[in-house]
Amino acid sequence: MEKEARPSWDNPLQFVLACVSYAVGLGNVWRFPYLCQMHGGGGFLIPYFIMLILEGIPLFYLELAIGQKMRLGSIGAWTAISPYLGGVGLASVVTSLYLCLYYNVINAWSFWYLFHSFQSVLPWADCPINSNRTGFIEECETATSTQYFFYRQTLDISSSIEENGGIHTGQALCLLLAWGITYMFIVRGVKSTGKVVYFTSTFPYVVLFIYLIRGVTLHGAINGVIYMFTPKMEQLANPTTWINAATQIFFSLGLGFGTLIAFASYNQYNNNFERQAIVVSLINSGTSIFASIVTFAIYGFKATVNYENCLERTRLLLLNTFSLAEDSITVDSLSSWIDRLNTTYPEQFAELTNKLEDCNLERELDTAVEGTGLAFIVYSEAIKNMPLSQLWSVLYFFMLLLLGMGSMLGNVTAIITPLRDFKLVSNMSNELLNGLVCVFCLLLGLGFTTTSGNYWFTMFNDYGANFSLLFIVLIEVISVSYIYGIKRFEKDIEDMLGYRPNWYWKITWAGISPLLLITLFIVYIVNYIQGGTPTYQAWNKELGKSVVTEYPVFAQVFIGLLLVSSVSCVPLTALYVYCRKRKDGRLHRSQRTVSILSTQ
Amino acid sequence: MLEKILVLLCLPSALAQHLCTPGASDGYKVRLSIKTALGDQAYVWNENEMFLFRATLAFAMRTHFNGQMYNVSNIVVCDETPRVSFWFVVTSPLDTSTLVDRKDVEEAVRKSRNRINSAFLLTDKTLEFIGIAPTLAAPVYPDPPPWLIVFGVVMGAVGAGIIILLVTSVLQKKRKKNEKSEGEDDEEDTRVKTVENGTASDGVYNMSFSDDERFTKM
Repeated sequence: MEKEARPSWDNPLQFVLACVSYAVGLGNVWRFPYLCQMHGGGGFLIPYFIMLILEGIPLFYLELAIGQKMRLGSIGAWTAISPYLGGVGLASVVTSLYLCLYYNVINAWSFWYLFHSFQSVLPWADCPINSNRTGFIEECETATSTQYFFYRQTLDISSSIEENGGIHTGQALCLLLAWGITYMFIVRGVKSTGKVVYFTSTFPYVVLFIYLIRGVTLHGAINGVIYMFTPKMEQLANPTTWINAATQIFFSLGLGFGTLIAFASYNQYNNNFERQAIVVSLINSGTSIFASIVTFAIYGFKATVNYENCLERTRLLLLNTFSLAEDSITVDSLSSWIDRLNTTYPEQFAELTNKLEDCNLERELDTAVEGTGLAFIVYSEAIKNMPLSQLWSVLYFFMLLLLGMGSMLGNVTAIITPLRDFKLVSNMSNELLNGLVCVFCLLLGLGFTTTSGNYWFTMFNDYGANFSLLFIVLIEVISVSYIYGIKRFEKDIEDMLGYRPNWYWKITWAGISPLLLITLFIVYIVNYIQGGTPTYQAWNKELGKSVVTEYPVFAQVFIGLLLVSSVSCVPLTALYVYCRKRKDGRLHRSQRTVSILSTQ
Repeated sequence: MLEKILVLLCLPSALAQHLCTPGASDGYKVRLSIKTALGDQAYVWNENEMFLFRATLAFAMRTHFNGQMYNVSNIVVCDETPRVSFWFVVTSPLDTSTLVDRKDVEEAVRKSRNRINSAFLLTDKTLEFIGIAPTLAAPVYPDPPPWLIVFGVVMGAVGAGIIILLVTSVLQKKRKKNEKSEGEDDEEDTRVKTVENGTASDGVYNMSFSDDERFTKM
């Protein structure tokens, strides 16, 4: 009797939690609220859910089915579907490798901020004092203290991607810790990962819930939530809204990396993944919406605080210029006082006009930020204004860590599982292989902790995965629907689940999803070509803000390499297999003639 | 006689008063924000408070110029506003018609800034000397920095965790190898054919009894 020695999840719940932990990541917290705000608030939910139904859930189901049926990592699974398609799996592994390299750097930053929260005064709350103790450091004055802490003290960023300094030791230590923890979580493969995901998938919800309560009770938070969720339906007419909804669903579910195939390959053969696919996708989207309520509450609080500080500064300015008693002007009577002073002392008032700020709450609410800027600058600015800020800071960065670590588990598993399937490597122990992969990624990842590291990080973030994933998943869905055949696929699923998938799945796999993906693919290419030279945001010390700068030639070449290296795996592998088959075919023919000759 | 003495006494202060003008080159503008600092417990600014201010400033001048006897009368104040802001100049104790240089006044104020602030229960932000930058408190940098301590704790825990996991798996493998070598002598038909990835490291889980249910529910 043939017994399988492939490890597996202890129970189906571990598998579901692993998928949730992987899919629910930092993008839910820092990308979705931005999109929601930019594309009409509550109205954005409509294209979002439509795309979820048309493309998200079917593609998720597809990957799980492949993994569970083939019981191999992405390379082995695609080779089993068709030998010429092994390159799809290889492309997934390469893309996952790029992701692993830079994603753990975010965890390193989270660690850095987490450790710095254990101080009586949060270090990003105040500017540090300059050398002759007369004021604050100039860079901190022109920017804000939170920006200074992120760009100078956390990253020690250089002014462009060409300039390089040394490695930031603190960052390197935090990256080492991040990889150490990742190794500890995956060291025994799915056995250790399965236990860890109980915590990494559930605790972020606890923190989000606590933050929700804290958030909505903050002064001015409700303004933010109402303003940003009020649907602006006219945005639905904008095609970018639909494109962004489709792209967000696609990337948020983590399709194309090979992680889902890897996770599903450890399942029992008859596991009901159909229900699990729907549940995980819905949980992922629900978490995005939940996180955006929290984010909008924080935005509202921050905007209200900034607005009130602006009013207070105006009040003080008027008091000091016209030497009025302190309690004569209050914040509420500010506008009437401005008119009165303008009419009584017009010349003096005229001198003030360039110093007088226009305090506008809506303008503060309209500033939309995404990505690391949201997570590390906007949120930490809001946290420093909360009472008991150290506690909130620790909770928040711990949550970011859990979200990031959960996704990292999936990313590393996507590399290790296909590697294990190769005969060369299968004799190595789990611990050794995992350790080698972690050390390799750590060493390469140290490049992101240098002074220009953040610019390389942004490059990898923007170009490392997006294009390749679209390509990979497009090939995946077309090959399953047309090369492998929907009929064969149906039968496989019936073999596993006991019933055939209904018409909804078949229509989306064979028709709607490929069309959507082709559209996204074309739009991406057109945008890339039309966008001209790719640019990035370089931090300017003197101005105290980010400036749009063009990538130098070597960086553009590197971007091209990133894009080509993963995509080219597909045609190159197909070519290689074709050549091998031709050679083997000729060899077999010559062997048969020899045996025929020898028997005579 | 008495009138003459009175006139003589009033003359210096009257003479000195004209030296104080808003915008005087050797004077400074002071601004107090009492209500902002103290809220409900704010005191009212009156003549007595002004006297205290002049006395404190005289104290500051005395401390800085060790030996010169500055008096309350040497501090001349003018242009009081409801904001509670005013200009002051400092006359030399030796000659009441000359003013003490700007820089000296600044140094004296800087030296005793803390004492002046505390006399009025105010801070550098609420008792402003326009033109005199406050000397900010020297930053306290504890050595080693606190974040390194937390990092060390977490790193140590992770290191210990990794070592424990590796050691237990090595021990498990050794134990299994011993059991296997005993088992191979007794039974010949328990042949585990390792498929695909051939991991033999986590061997406690026995697959043969796991496929009880055909359809595993979630």
